[in-house]
Amino acid sequence: MNIDEKIQDFLKTHLTLEDAFPTRMPVYVNSFGYFFGTMTLSSLAIIIGTGSAMMIFGPIWSHVSSVGAFINAMHFWGVEIFYFSAILHILFKFFTAAWRGGRWRTWVIGWLIFATTIFSGISGTLLQQNWDAQWNAQQGKDAFAALGLGWLNWMDITSVLSLHVGIFAALVILLTVSHLFNVRSESPVHPIVDDGGGDAGDRRA
Amino acid sequence: MSKLSDANLRGIPMKPYDMVREGLIVLTVITTAVILLAAIWGFPRIPPLTVHEVAIKAPISFIERTLSYFTGKSGLQTYGPPYTTDYENAQQVAGICPACWTGVVHPLNAQVDLVMKPLQQIGILNPSIAADLKLYRQAPVAQRVKWAENYSAALKTASVTEGRVISAPGDYGPVAPLMEAMLNFARAGLLEAALTQGTNPSLAPYNTDYTRALLYLGGPIMNEVANHFDEQGGEWGMSHLAGPYPGAWWLWPYAFLYQIPAIGNSPNADLIAGMIMAVFSLLLIFLPFIPGLNRLPYIFPVYRIIWRDWYQKYPSGDPSRPASYNE
Repeated sequence: MNIDEKIQDFLKTHLTLEDAFPTRMPVYVNSFGYFFGTMTLSSLAIIIGTGSAMMIFGPIWSHVSSVGAFINAMHFWGVEIFYFSAILHILFKFFTAAWRGGRWRTWVIGWLIFATTIFSGISGTLLQQNWDAQWNAQQGKDAFAALGLGWLNWMDITSVLSLHVGIFAALVILLTVSHLFNVRSESPVHPIVDDGGGDAGDRRA
Repeated sequence: MSKLSDANLRGIPMKPYDMVREGLIVLTVITTAVILLAAIWGFPRIPPLTVHEVAIKAPISFIERTLSYFTGKSGLQTYGPPYTTDYENAQQVAGICPACWTGVVHPLNAQVDLVMKPLQQIGILNPSIAADLKLYRQAPVAQRVKWAENYSAALKTASVTEGRVISAPGDYGPVAPLMEAMLNFARAGLLEAALTQGTNPSLAPYNTDYTRALLYLGGPIMNEVANHFDEQGGEWGMSHLAGPYPGAWWLWPYAFLYQIPAIGNSPNADLIAGMIMAVFSLLLIFLPFIPGLNRLPYIFPVYRIIWRDWYQKYPSGDPSRPASYNE
């Protein structure tokens, strides 16, 4: 078995350079809704960029210095736009039944990203070092305990920071790369074929 | 193109496209929007509530809370896992008790960890407090309870003068000076540090576990502040922030469950809401395989609006049957 040959075969089957960086697109890709995914990805890039800056320069910088506070605010509003875009993206994919034609993996991975970001968002809230962080730590302890997540110490800032910038961030990035790989490999889902009879009958593509 | 793309796009009319250019344009627009939002509204910086601040602004509330830990009457002392062994207080539904499965992983004795240990430190600074603590420990249990009950009752009519809590004369034994010592320690801004350091002295000065300092003000004191900001669970809790900020509005479906009295008022509310959300999440994740749910987009044909140009050319959606073909 030649491993390089296997990888070449895999890429030829699933993702050539032309798929990864397409110069042509099906004509039905003609709706503002197709921007929602890119909007989500763009806001994620801002979140990672601003988060990395806060991680490097530390909490005093991001709360006290004017530049740090501004980057902190960008991180916060990046998250707001991320969820706004992500939910529009999910609704768009739902109403186009985008899981058709064997694209269910992309749908499932998309939801796994969303679920991971929920926990990432909660850990981020606990790291805000303000009243809301304190109140959510107080309230959240009951939910974490009830769900069997009390073994993680949500009031130890090292644990929460490690989860937020390490585990959850890595998971989100890994799953996003996998999601994008599938998106480009599978090509955009076809419009639904309505074969009459009052119900759209296309269950294949 | 790959074999997969070839198969998927066979027979589909194509148009020129530049994905990277489109991505950069969207990134520029989103970055501009984020910069504008950050510049105009900033970030919600309502500072945390500190023990020091409470001791100065609400000394009676501070002493009442401290006394509840001291006498073992706070809810924290019978919380259950992960803090105490009161498993009967862990949330459970139909025998399902995840908190019981994970157990007491962060043991906490509120009386000792939140009050006695700081008092021992104060005793090093002030020998009279060490003597009061010794007197309290050596007294019979019935006597301790009587002192604490007397003092607790006196606090209801106590007043504050120049930061000092003035209560009516009574038989409080060493309880009154011990509680006043805790108040002064907190007013000096030393209690939070003592609680954090005390969590695990062997890690000093690297301790980053703020469990004790964060839990100290829990209960009535933090509830009052949360009420001020409309942040209680029955007020959509974690889904919004204090002040005019949007917060985690994507948690509305979760927060909504707490607005249903049967769930919100249940002692197992968090577990019930968590289980419902887990089922809901699984339904969404596996929606492509769930008969009925996976047909919803066909029943609500929003796709015909999204792809209206396509359906104008190909009314059935099939590119091999253009409009002229159907006529």
